[in-house]
Amino acid sequence: MNEKMRKTILENISRSVVKKAEYVDARLVTEDYSESVFLYDGNLEANDTTFENGIGVRTLYNGAWGFAATSDLSKIKECFELSFKNAKTASELVNISITMGKKQKGFTASYESPAKQDPFKVSLKEKIEFLKDIDSNLKEDWIFKRYISATFQKKNQYFFNSEGTEIDRKLTDVFATMMVMGLDNEGQMQRRSHELFTKGDGTRGWELLVDPKLFTSHTVRIKEELAELLKAESLKHGKRSVILLPGQGWLQVHETIGHPLELDRILGYELSFAGGSFVNLDSFGKLKYGSDKLNVSAYGGFPNSPGSFGFDDDGSPERDYLMIDKGLLVNCLTSRAMINEANERAGRKIFKDIGGASRATAFYRAPIDRMTNVNILPGNDGKLKDIIASTEDGIVVDNPTSWSIGSNREHFHFGCEIAWEVKNGKKIRVLKNPTYQGHTTEFYNSLTAVGDKSTWVVGQVDSCGKGEPNQVMELGHGVPVLKFDNVITGERK
Amino acid sequence: MISAKIKKIFEEARKEALKQKVQANLSYHSEKSHLMRIGNNSVSLNTSENLTRLDISVTIGRKQGTHTQMGEISSAKYIIDALKIAIDKANNSLDLDFTPLKEIVEENFVQTDQFDKKLEDLDPAFKMEAYKKIIETVGQQYNYSGSWSSGSTEHFFMTTENENSAYHLVTDQLFNIVLKHPDKKWELSSTQTGWKKSDFKAAKTIKEFQKLLPVYENHKGFKVKTCKYTVVLGSAAIAEVMEMALWTGFYGRTYEEKRAWTSKNKAGDKILGSNITLMDDPSNPDTFRFSFDMSGKKRKKFVLCKDGKLKNIMYDSQTAAMYKKKPTGHNIGGTSIVLATGKGEGDKSLLKAVKDMGTVLYIPALHYINLPNASKGIFTGSSRFNAVLIKNGKIVSPIFSSRITDNFQSVFGNVKVISSESVSFNGSNTYGRRSPVAISVPSYMVCEKVKITDCADSF
Repeated sequence: MNEKMRKTILENISRSVVKKAEYVDARLVTEDYSESVFLYDGNLEANDTTFENGIGVRTLYNGAWGFAATSDLSKIKECFELSFKNAKTASELVNISITMGKKQKGFTASYESPAKQDPFKVSLKEKIEFLKDIDSNLKEDWIFKRYISATFQKKNQYFFNSEGTEIDRKLTDVFATMMVMGLDNEGQMQRRSHELFTKGDGTRGWELLVDPKLFTSHTVRIKEELAELLKAESLKHGKRSVILLPGQGWLQVHETIGHPLELDRILGYELSFAGGSFVNLDSFGKLKYGSDKLNVSAYGGFPNSPGSFGFDDDGSPERDYLMIDKGLLVNCLTSRAMINEANERAGRKIFKDIGGASRATAFYRAPIDRMTNVNILPGNDGKLKDIIASTEDGIVVDNPTSWSIGSNREHFHFGCEIAWEVKNGKKIRVLKNPTYQGHTTEFYNSLTAVGDKSTWVVGQVDSCGKGEPNQVMELGHGVPVLKFDNVITGERK
Repeated sequence: MISAKIKKIFEEARKEALKQKVQANLSYHSEKSHLMRIGNNSVSLNTSENLTRLDISVTIGRKQGTHTQMGEISSAKYIIDALKIAIDKANNSLDLDFTPLKEIVEENFVQTDQFDKKLEDLDPAFKMEAYKKIIETVGQQYNYSGSWSSGSTEHFFMTTENENSAYHLVTDQLFNIVLKHPDKKWELSSTQTGWKKSDFKAAKTIKEFQKLLPVYENHKGFKVKTCKYTVVLGSAAIAEVMEMALWTGFYGRTYEEKRAWTSKNKAGDKILGSNITLMDDPSNPDTFRFSFDMSGKKRKKFVLCKDGKLKNIMYDSQTAAMYKKKPTGHNIGGTSIVLATGKGEGDKSLLKAVKDMGTVLYIPALHYINLPNASKGIFTGSSRFNAVLIKNGKIVSPIFSSRITDNFQSVFGNVKVISSESVSFNGSNTYGRRSPVAISVPSYMVCEKVKITDCADSF
């Protein structure tokens, strides 16, 4: 970013403050690149790049937010003026005043995702060759369709606020999926897939994708599992134990712990679209969300995840803390403005520190409370084989095909790609079309086994949708193998 | 019309593409968007976004590359530089195993018949005042949240195949408000849509809330048993389920790849009830109309299902090329899907229509629908706003959040009554770029033997 641009932004922030804005921030995105390559049955069906840049300005005036964004960087002054005007109009209808709380001391900081090899410096040819190699490993006569995709993202963003804080961030993300599909003995399409994951450590450039342990080595496994699925019977309806592999566990955590614990959702700011939360301000310190085996953290302090980004879009640092401690709800995903409002409405200081969860997907969206990394901490119940050995009647499930959740996240229904039936401590066969459903707190209170650190992986999420205008966000979930008892599974005839 | 400057810049870029001997589709997308959000009876966000995007796709023989760029298109150099990126991508691509169809803009299209300058320039203060009026009139003891998106979308494109161009300018709005009881936790909702400023009337929402409030205030919530019910689906629920049925049943890609619930069927087969007729009708005023698709093909009325029988499948140009079919004008997000109305009583007489049916659940909208088994047409989703239990034509109580898990063939195969009134359901999402889309559906449908598979202990 050139000094002239910086000066222009700072002058405009000052001008808004002179006009009695209570708080102003600006996010200048100088480059936001994404690239998608996608092979479908050997055809390169996506070979796309996108480049965005521009500025988003947020103004707090008389307890109300105004926001404006433009992709025309010759109109920065107009953008600030529009943001101010929008805040002024909004301030005409205020029941609860928004405040950023105590004025903070400005600071300068920077953050860069750990990455060895910039994926945008790897040639398209090399990327395509990499996908082609995987494709040739997936190809079999009996496989009906093959799918491999990789997405690369790079964003350079500069944050400024009226408290004097200036933060520059360079974020890199790499996502990838492979999938094989086949027609089963009833003519229904079945699939097995694998998504690029991390173990929380390491770096997240091109090197993440080419690490065989994390991606390419899984081709044989998903083909073998698909072959078994094609001749499998469907899961029958009934109550039994459900063991979630991390490929399914991350989505369970995402939908029934992550989303209901977003503070803006708890406070009722997402009702008209995403919905509310069964959690309320009285729940903190009282609600037994799950069994004593359930320990959930936000952020987690690990560097290699799309949910690790240094500073949020309020300028607050990411913070590692527990949200659920031995089953008890103690904290949630928070941002600066929301914790002030929550503490005021509750009449007590529920939240002491800012969670660093205020995030915007692009310069043209205003930040809202989002997940960072929402993680179930590893337990002491051993490896998958140990958990299976302790199961009398159950299923092990992996990878979601369908997810539908109640508007307050109080109940859910999930479909998975595959199930392995477990009887008397042994995996006995593969079952297709597995589904399970439950009510959130009842489900987590039936958590009876949590796998150890060796079972724990970080699922990478590149498509979490929330907010209006809608924002698609990148985040992570560290989860071990999890076992729940007495779960309704399969569909009633 | 598109500005003369943009048109000239695009014509220069087209000349450059021809000089480079590539096929190119050059597209301009510009939006002026405004959105106001309400939370806890306050304006929680008031946002304006002015964004311009350039999309370029290039085909060289069987190789393709695309590049999208956000920013002001100020010169021919800007667009030619972006074109070079797309050409480079195509040159370094792989040969497809089919020959892509040439994208030919069939005629010079100019469509501005759903543009309202008053809506494009709508002062946010108008929205704030409307919300204020609704809150003050219905009662400040409730908790209100909502959103109101409005704006204009300008789209212009041309290809290297001829000198024609296509231009589309549209305005749209989607108003939404949720009323929540602070203690009892039930929620009511009201939605309005349209392409003109005058399509919104605060009085309509006030009337809807005032009609439903006594039912919710005076009755406790009812926990529904898990079994089969006669269910009256309201317009939003019909539209949401039908959109899923379309996506997984009537698009060429899923159909040809045997992933569709219709894949085992051919034209003429009975797939839904004989009272179900479904079409894409770009002349329907309940929808946002597009007279051409993004490959330049003229769009016409296209019947998908007639009297329950499969008639046609929609093919975009890529799928058509892949499976050697004719493209049907469906390189487009904004189809104009119309589910035909029936002979039932209108919306005002819904209770009369079900008075001899005993116990009936009225579910106006479904939250978070998904597909546990797309091949079998199985969907699942749960009730939310304004849902009530009706007995012998009288509303008995509101119902707790209840889950339907059933299949399209059964739900749309056992429809006893279809309302004679149509409703426009705005299905636009606010992900990424502005792109209005609406579906026209009957205001209600009475469906028999619908499976309720779960019910929460709360709303």
